[in-house]
Amino acid sequence: MKSSRLHSPWTPWLFLAPFLLSFGAFIAWPAVRSLMLAFEQTYGPKTTAFVGTANLRFLVHDPFLWTAVGNTIVFTLAAVVLQIPAALGLALLLNRSDLRGRRFFRLVFFSPSIVGLAFVAIMFSFMLEKRTGLINASLHHLFPAWNPDFPWLDRYVMPSLILAQLWLSAGFYMVYFLAALQNVPGELLDAAHIDGAGAWQRFWHVTLPEIRPVLNIILLLVVTGSFQLFDLPYLLYNDTAGSGPDNHALTVVTYLFQTGFRSGDLGYASAIGWMLTLVLVGFALIQRRLARAEES
Amino acid sequence: MRSLLKLFSPGLWIVLLMAVVSTVLVALLPVRPNHGMQMWTFDANHAKIAGYIAEDWNRAHPSTPVQVKLITGAALQTRMLSGFYSDTPVADLIEVERSMIGQVFAGPVADVGFVDLTDRLDRENLRTGINEPSFSPWTTRGHIFGLPHDIHPVMLMYRSDLVEAAGIDVSKIETWDDYFRLLRPLMLDLDGDGRPDRYLLNSSPTSLFYHEVLLLQGGGRLFDNANHPKLNEPLNARILAKMATWYTGPTQVAAEAPIGGTSAIQLIREGYVIGMLAPDWFAGQIRVAIPDMAGKFKLMPLPAWEKGGRRTSVLGGTMLGITKAGPTTSAAWAFAKQLYLSSDTAHRLYDVARIVTPIKANWNQPFYDEPDPFYGNQRIGRMYIQLAPEVPVRPSSPYYPMTQQLLSSVVIRLCRYADEHRLYDVPSLVPEAQRLLDEAQARIEAQINRNAFLRADR
Repeated sequence: MKSSRLHSPWTPWLFLAPFLLSFGAFIAWPAVRSLMLAFEQTYGPKTTAFVGTANLRFLVHDPFLWTAVGNTIVFTLAAVVLQIPAALGLALLLNRSDLRGRRFFRLVFFSPSIVGLAFVAIMFSFMLEKRTGLINASLHHLFPAWNPDFPWLDRYVMPSLILAQLWLSAGFYMVYFLAALQNVPGELLDAAHIDGAGAWQRFWHVTLPEIRPVLNIILLLVVTGSFQLFDLPYLLYNDTAGSGPDNHALTVVTYLFQTGFRSGDLGYASAIGWMLTLVLVGFALIQRRLARAEES
Repeated sequence: MRSLLKLFSPGLWIVLLMAVVSTVLVALLPVRPNHGMQMWTFDANHAKIAGYIAEDWNRAHPSTPVQVKLITGAALQTRMLSGFYSDTPVADLIEVERSMIGQVFAGPVADVGFVDLTDRLDRENLRTGINEPSFSPWTTRGHIFGLPHDIHPVMLMYRSDLVEAAGIDVSKIETWDDYFRLLRPLMLDLDGDGRPDRYLLNSSPTSLFYHEVLLLQGGGRLFDNANHPKLNEPLNARILAKMATWYTGPTQVAAEAPIGGTSAIQLIREGYVIGMLAPDWFAGQIRVAIPDMAGKFKLMPLPAWEKGGRRTSVLGGTMLGITKAGPTTSAAWAFAKQLYLSSDTAHRLYDVARIVTPIKANWNQPFYDEPDPFYGNQRIGRMYIQLAPEVPVRPSSPYYPMTQQLLSSVVIRLCRYADEHRLYDVPSLVPEAQRLLDEAQARIEAQINRNAFLRADR
């Protein structure tokens, strides 16, 4: 009797119901609704006007959006080129068994991730300030020819953002790499060493292939995270709602936020959101295909 | 039953039980109905003053008491817009800062969440009694949606200790050219590194708000009275070209101690900037922020762009609106009038924040003539009031923040152009300024033309 109740055709649905309900309410329906919104202009969710493909057509010619896309791509490329090697370099350093104080350094490099993004943004705004900022004041003190009014945050917007993000994230990804490095079989490295492979050859031919799955995951995280960059420019350039001087800090998500939540046009914001989704899905598919090709 | 209990571990059952119990408890919590009216404001001084007035009101109107709530600006903006967009609860009266209002006006005029006050103001003959330009930021498509709280005329605050020590007579200053010429000797290199450590005006290419202040003072504008963008008017190009010569190259006289930034107070103390664009609220803030600097600052009307030109501008602003959602519109209107039109409020506002009222009937109050020791005993209240009628009209377009940023981009690019081509005179910079403004105008027009609601209301 008990057994037949548990094996009724509804039982699987009963167990699936919590997931299906939450998935439907919080993912599927919002996705469908946002797709519908992409064809509307809104003044909040209550007042809407169907505009057909006008949002999508405007997307193609919107110079603000393309500025945002350009900035986001630059940031993403810099993140890939700088964050991943920096994180891997730190991990390789901390993986050395002969290094003293490894735990201490691990904590030091990871600590920016603990303090959080808001703190990092505020700290960098202090450090990069004209005249009174730590960097300008120190450089002027060391080299009197250095201009104490050097406009880091005004004229070097993207480098400032990249630097802040690097400081924040390198230690975080380092932990992933460190875990992967500790799983590299020692006997493989020893065998390579006995065969006469140098340090670089051991890294390139043994370590790197072994940690490649983690590297792929980190690459995916860095790229998707960079494409979704919002909070750092928003906090650093709060007076311009994250746009920065001459829109140099404007990213796709910042523009989406400004459009949807500052101008109240959820329709156009949805169109931007879908464009971003397609780009990220496209990247994930390409990356997955490349990873599989390498594996095979 | 036992088999049901075994479906989950005891821990899971406890979590589930806690979730159910807490949900039931929250659902059973009594919701206290709001008795009377609520007013939201974002400023501590405003809240304090409204609180005093509300006490009097509540004694006289026990059936419709007012409760004043202080909410941070960002939270107020979010709650207000959520209420307007989706009918979530909002206060009966809301004080709105200028930067928040654009969003309220982005949709159809019939959907603006505030009560249209135009007819009430006309019927009760109140419009003529309030400084006319102060209505402009709260007016869209011919409808007024708020009572203006202030005027915010701008004067020039300067380091009188340094200026007077140098023997400079500011009464000879009529134009910006006079100002920079006479004060130029104060741009000193104090640490011997070959660069000035003092500048004459607190502004820079990235000073988002000051460009508009200076543009409006010079007769330029971002929008016309119907909120159509007018960024690329030739006068704007001439003004921006002149501003670029202040910001860069050998003629540079301006640099920024970013107000609200972390270092501003230190830089102001050090005299990094001799002159600052100072609306009345800023004059009030500085008194509180650096009381030990009393006697080292004075105010003067802004130097004009041309001889005989306007000597003031405008920066910031607040309105009080009555929400459509409130059940007691007439009581809210009566309270709004008691709060904003009374001489008591005007006195408290000036006393606490040095803000002058837009209510003309209160301009003759004697407290505006009291000398202010912080400003070398100048009668700054009277000085600001004398400039009030000259305050330029400002737009209420929902595209104002975007236009303001475009203007800032134009200034930044113009300064870069000047540096790249080593052009630091106005006639050489005007064509590029015009080209950049034309580009910006096209961008903002494209954004505005996309708005189906504004098109429909035109």
